[in-house]
Amino acid sequence: MSALAVPIANQIRRLRFEAGEMTQSELAEKIGMTRQTVAAIEAGKYSPSLEAAFRIAAVFGARLEEVFQWVG
Amino acid sequence: MSLGDMSLREKSAWIGAVTALICFGVYFGSLASGAVPHGGPQAFGLFVECAGGFVLLQIVLNIAAALTTPKDARTPRDEREQQIAARSHSFGYYVLVVTVLMLGIPGHLGHPVTDLLNFALLDVVVAGLVVSVAQIVMFRRGY
Repeated sequence: MSALAVPIANQIRRLRFEAGEMTQSELAEKIGMTRQTVAAIEAGKYSPSLEAAFRIAAVFGARLEEVFQWVG
Repeated sequence: MSLGDMSLREKSAWIGAVTALICFGVYFGSLASGAVPHGGPQAFGLFVECAGGFVLLQIVLNIAAALTTPKDARTPRDEREQQIAARSHSFGYYVLVVTVLMLGIPGHLGHPVTDLLNFALLDVVVAGLVVSVAQIVMFRRGY
């Protein structure tokens, strides 16, 4: 893990793929964020707030722990 | 890194840094080189031109940036952008406090008021640059 990486893994890339190759821009629009913020979350460089995490999970119809995992 | 890859707020940070460097670089460069005397109407005229140019450039370039990123321009800052703004302004605040406290040095050494005003302006410009550069770094890193 790099110094900037957060200790939370995520499955957003896979979930976007399974949702018909949803783009980062499309996901960003659905959760009210910029594409750059979605890219930072997906790359593990930024930890979203709990509300944003629930919004992301809701877009994919998944439970929170299916999208984000604590890796310490 | 390309312009298309940047959010509107990152573009604004670049605009803030570059316009401040250009406009106030010209002003302080002219004073430091002796091309313009430190006090008097010539220095004040240059200050008005540089500050006016800074404001004008900011307005024009930010409008241009908003036109190239219309979706961002219609939406408020998201949570990451808000946090980046808050952290960068915190850095800028500490720089401003330290540099303003340092104004006591030329003040007690007997520098004229116009020099103190220029030092104070430099403090504000440097603090603003720190804010812009901190934002650029955080936007580039992801946070």
